[in-house]
Amino acid sequence: MELLRQAPSRNPKEVLTFALLVLLGAVTLLTTLGVVLSLLGDVVEFFRRVPLTEFLFAPEWTPLFAEPRYGIAPLIAGTLLVTAIALTVAIPLGLALAIYISELAPHRVRARVMGILELFEGIPTVVLGYFALLTVTPFLQKFIPGLQIFNPLSAGLVMGFAIIPYVSNVAADAMQSVPRAIREAAYALGARPYEVALRVVFPAAISGIIAAIILATSRAIGETMIVAIAAGQRPTLTLDPRETIATMTSFIVQAATGDQPAGSTASLALFAVGATLFLMTLGLNILAQYVVERYRERYE
Amino acid sequence: MSEPLLSKTQGGDPWKARIDRVFARALVLPLFLALALLSWLLLDTLYRSFSVQVVRSDVGLSQTFPLGTAWQEALKAALLQEGYTEEEAEAMLKDPKELRALLNQNRVELMWNTHEGPLRYVVTGSYDERVLDLPLLQGLRRWEELKAGLGEGERLVLNPWLDQTFLTRFPSRNPLIAGIGVAVVGTVWVLTLALLIAIPVGVGTAILLEEYLREGRLNRILEVNLRNLAGVPSIVYGLLGLAFFVREMGLGPTVLAAALTLALLGIPVITVTAREALRAVPESQRQAAFALGATRRQVVFRVVLPAALPGVVTGVILSAARLIGEAAPLLLVGAAAYVPFYPSGPLSEYTVIPVQIYLWVSQPQPEFARVAAAGILVMLLVLSGLYLAALYLRNRFRREW
Repeated sequence: MELLRQAPSRNPKEVLTFALLVLLGAVTLLTTLGVVLSLLGDVVEFFRRVPLTEFLFAPEWTPLFAEPRYGIAPLIAGTLLVTAIALTVAIPLGLALAIYISELAPHRVRARVMGILELFEGIPTVVLGYFALLTVTPFLQKFIPGLQIFNPLSAGLVMGFAIIPYVSNVAADAMQSVPRAIREAAYALGARPYEVALRVVFPAAISGIIAAIILATSRAIGETMIVAIAAGQRPTLTLDPRETIATMTSFIVQAATGDQPAGSTASLALFAVGATLFLMTLGLNILAQYVVERYRERYE
Repeated sequence: MSEPLLSKTQGGDPWKARIDRVFARALVLPLFLALALLSWLLLDTLYRSFSVQVVRSDVGLSQTFPLGTAWQEALKAALLQEGYTEEEAEAMLKDPKELRALLNQNRVELMWNTHEGPLRYVVTGSYDERVLDLPLLQGLRRWEELKAGLGEGERLVLNPWLDQTFLTRFPSRNPLIAGIGVAVVGTVWVLTLALLIAIPVGVGTAILLEEYLREGRLNRILEVNLRNLAGVPSIVYGLLGLAFFVREMGLGPTVLAAALTLALLGIPVITVTAREALRAVPESQRQAAFALGATRRQVVFRVVLPAALPGVVTGVILSAARLIGEAAPLLLVGAAAYVPFYPSGPLSEYTVIPVQIYLWVSQPQPEFARVAAAGILVMLLVLSGLYLAALYLRNRFRREW
């Protein structure tokens, strides 16, 4: 904008306002710094006591036992298991909704659908965890023998519904930015609406759709209350969705609500797990941004 | 995209037309699934918050009184039965401190249905024991049978767990008298302080990005940083709060530490919504103000910000709704403690509604699920209030430029 390029004012009031705003803006930068620093100190101390190879390759996670083992593999396996179940629900349902919002819904219906999704996004996750544990699990136990009270299956299913809005909003945005001319060209060639949606718009928006899925994955990995309540707090290296497991987030909750003294290795483990979680989600978010920028179809 | 092009295609292969219809219907299915799940959740929570109980009181007060007696009378009669003299009982009821203690230990409330008839006052003691806790329908079906089988000191009641005193009662290890009062006050404290911090920072950052630095390196850095912060799981903010506010700054598990943590969580959300609201103000408004000789500060604070205010406020309300439901980060900064008193200031201990619900859900006794259901209803009511307020503001002050 030309207007924004005018010479900086020397009026003290103007300068002061600008300085104040920069100061406020700096708080967000300090937050990032704070996250990194707060994790770093305790993580360094943790790895001074526990070798990195133990952390990465030991098959058990039992920091509260008399002979503690610090292998993060069971926690990561649990996290990935729940995430996979959630994505199995969220990807098809979320993408279907995205196509509906972007391609088929009439104007007024679209606003209403978005409103419902917003409402869905607004349900506190502690409520969803309660629902998964006390309603969905007993319901599933009627059909699935051997399903534990705490299990990743119902936690994952409920979480899948919770992350539908993340998939559908981002994906619908991507589809809506595909220019109308391309759709019209397809219709002019005699394509049906489903063909236009699936074979023209969908491929054209694929970078945004992949980004939506990556972002939803990152959400699912960081989701805490649903798994802490419904998936259990017993780290198990298993892929059986009926077994009680623990995820990285549920371990953090468990350790934080327990009473280990500050500075003990068990309490440092909290930060090591938190740092792993932070790096995984940050990596996924950066990957999503990269995918969007690298593979975007550009239209004139 | 504006209206879809659907209606324009006609004729052609009838099979394709059929596929099209199935396709259109299949796409709406997820929405109905989600709505069905939502209704299931609500109905189930509502149903769980009622139960038919047989309660035995061995020690403490246990009375029911007909409607028309003031509840103080009910409490007094119960005290008399307990062995207190008339004067002692009067004095206890007059002293506000004593009264509060009494009301915390004994729940006096209107119950819809008891074995002595509908709508009576019931005084429940803190040592009351549940003998039987039945789901609503099952309990009503067996009502007569249960009534006939009542033993010494036992009462049969239909218990609506969410009642007027649930909102003011304190947490307890006895599900019969556990209440959400402390958590409600804690949420009000934490949320107010958090918003006091997060609103200026969030809106200020939005103004900086939208009105002062639309391009350039600082803008790029802040943008990328904000986008990454928005993607950080909320529990990581809890770790930050634990390491920095609770331990480093020595705040301990207090309201202030929680408010700071929650504020950091809310800043990116508020920034994003405030930026959208600022962006919706058309460029012509700014240019008109500049043409009249206004400085940048005057343009921003007298023209753009007032025009964007409804949008900003709506965004803040929605962010507040998001923050109210956050349990994970606060579990790390001390909300999981058992706090049997109202927080009195920024440096007192606290708990909040979602954390209280989490604590109830993780209790082994099955009745705590009912207490949790009542707590969830309270939280959902508060949230729907906030959403309605946001919706109202959005529609009331919507402007077409």
